[in-house]
Amino acid sequence: MPALPILFHGMNTQTILKAFVDRAVISDEQASIIADYEKKKAFSLHWELRSILYLGIVLFSSGIGVIIYENIDTIGHQVIIALIAAFTAWCFYYTYKHALPYSHQKVNNPRKLADYVLLLGCTTFLILEGYLQFQYNIFGTRYGLAIIIPTLIFFFCAYRFDHKGALSLAITGLASWLGLTVAPLAVLSQNDFTDSRLLATAVILGSILCVVGWASEKKNIKPHFAFTYIFLGGNLAVLAAMTGIFSDRAEFIYMLLGLTLSAFFVQRARLTQSLIFLLMGVVYGYIIITHLIFSNIVSADASVVFGTFYFTFTSIGVVYFLLHFKKFLGIKK
Amino acid sequence: MKKAYNETWIENLHILNKAEHWSAKKLLTKEQLEQVEKAFPQHFYRPGIFVKIGLFIFTLIACSFASGFISMFIIGDGGQQNISIISLFCMTGFIFFLEFLIKSRGLYHSGTDNALLYAAMGAAAIPILSFFPDMQVWQYCMLSIAVSFAATLRYADLLAAAGSFLVLILMLGDIMMKFPIGKAILPFAVMILSALVYMVVRQIKSTYYYDCRKLIEILSLATFYLGGNYLVVREGNALLNDLNLPFAPQIPFAPVFYFLTLGIPIAYIFFGLKRHDRILLITGLLAFALSVYTYKHYFSPFTPAQELVMAGIAMIILSAAMIKYLHTPKHGLSDEQEGKRRLGNLEAILVAQHLGQTPGDDGNVEFGDGNFGGGGAGETY
Repeated sequence: MPALPILFHGMNTQTILKAFVDRAVISDEQASIIADYEKKKAFSLHWELRSILYLGIVLFSSGIGVIIYENIDTIGHQVIIALIAAFTAWCFYYTYKHALPYSHQKVNNPRKLADYVLLLGCTTFLILEGYLQFQYNIFGTRYGLAIIIPTLIFFFCAYRFDHKGALSLAITGLASWLGLTVAPLAVLSQNDFTDSRLLATAVILGSILCVVGWASEKKNIKPHFAFTYIFLGGNLAVLAAMTGIFSDRAEFIYMLLGLTLSAFFVQRARLTQSLIFLLMGVVYGYIIITHLIFSNIVSADASVVFGTFYFTFTSIGVVYFLLHFKKFLGIKK
Repeated sequence: MKKAYNETWIENLHILNKAEHWSAKKLLTKEQLEQVEKAFPQHFYRPGIFVKIGLFIFTLIACSFASGFISMFIIGDGGQQNISIISLFCMTGFIFFLEFLIKSRGLYHSGTDNALLYAAMGAAAIPILSFFPDMQVWQYCMLSIAVSFAATLRYADLLAAAGSFLVLILMLGDIMMKFPIGKAILPFAVMILSALVYMVVRQIKSTYYYDCRKLIEILSLATFYLGGNYLVVREGNALLNDLNLPFAPQIPFAPVFYFLTLGIPIAYIFFGLKRHDRILLITGLLAFALSVYTYKHYFSPFTPAQELVMAGIAMIILSAAMIKYLHTPKHGLSDEQEGKRRLGNLEAILVAQHLGQTPGDDGNVEFGDGNFGGGGAGETY
């Protein structure tokens, strides 16, 4: 095969450095420093080790949970509760002891494990609470109270210790206090949107979260939290609004809301260059508009013919838009 | 085969990546980095991953409805020949737009070009299937390797490269199955072929095929390991010989496969660390996990919960000890965080959603619900 020889010549550090020297970007000395660095640089195991640690924690807690559950009669409830409580307390104490002072801005804790410990503490706190409720029924039927307590604690931790994971846990808690799930992949499968009251709650909560995210950027209070608020809230609100559109109740209002939110996402993408919002805005907006058009065509034959035209040309249009989105949205860089 | 994308730009892209890395390590100044950007320009359209996803999806929709649109005019009686002509016509159209957009918009694996290539390859398959309906599996394999290998050479597309390799393995399997002796030595044949492919692709130095090479390395290492894995061989043997037994029976040469199951991951990890080869290391770690599972599957005296706890403790201790040990770099290994976390925002959300659901979700507050079930454990209780 004549093509194959081309495969076997390429470039490496030396050829790149030589090209730099040839174009007078760097001096010979600098080139030799860089070559030296490349030869001696250490092989980083950072992400591999973090992944093993995280998986280990997940496996361990899954296994230990089952073992405790199976042996609950022999171990005794008090012992287990005491152990979990002690561990949770240690996690929060550790986080508190090593915390840096509060700031409206992003706080970078140099301690490598502090983030993980706080997340672990939040998780075990939930386990502890669930255990107490199961065994001693401490909250009775006041489930709302059982949920809002950890939610408040997590919100506090998120702001005090500057932890996006805790914020996301807190938002999850707040949503479930209202009977909703905000996990991005479970919004549609786990929420019962046939209940129109719940549907409205979802749209309102999602919109409020978007506003909070927008405000934290405007007021410059933890502006880096905006993504978490808007991503979780926006997804919830748009998906709920879309369910509302499809199920024909108060269709018009939901349509308006859905389109507004889609436009809001595109606007976000424009301001923050966060392209996941561009994708969300375009996909959700496309679905809503398509539904609007096709729900007004009654004849099946007509919709097949029109559909072929419609999807061919609109999808080419969307591709064209995405290929030129910077020009359309006026993004400079 | 002439390459579709501008090779100089691709090389410049790699040079820029290298320069950015050096600049992050303070080996180049900001001004020097800017100079590099000017001296080695590239004008590819490479939007972020999410815009790529959007481009990919909408291009696929456009391709499928455009074919429908065209067939409305020339479908005729809907006979086999007409459909084949339509597919060939569509294929030509897709390739035309693919080449045109690469030239005019500077696409480089930007979603749209990937989608157009796959659509063209899919359209090419229809006439082949409709004109040669009764060929042997290996003959189909050869045809599809020819197409996807040509596509890989020209477009350096990852899916086409992976497809070529996997179909090659499938073809080997199909040929071997025709002979009685072939079934018995199939594992060794797969291992030999994988090793050969690995050695060949290691020789590819061209920047154009850099990503393809890495992907084929991963796949060939994986098939090499799976070919020697005791669990795969034992269960596969039972499956291929249509033994309807409740348990797959013991296989000949079992000790050889015990050795391979244990030895290959250790060798991967060892050489990965020694040669600073991340692909070998990670493949080795995953292979090791599968080896542990293989052992557990046949010999473990423990309950699943106990195994989870032991595996968890071992992993926590090992990784924590390594993190402590590598606090200062040793033996050319370090625990330094490299590169920025591009998707850090999403990671935080997923981890939190994964770790904690508030008690009282779905109105049921049962102990053990949600908190212990999930987590990639792969076991149901």
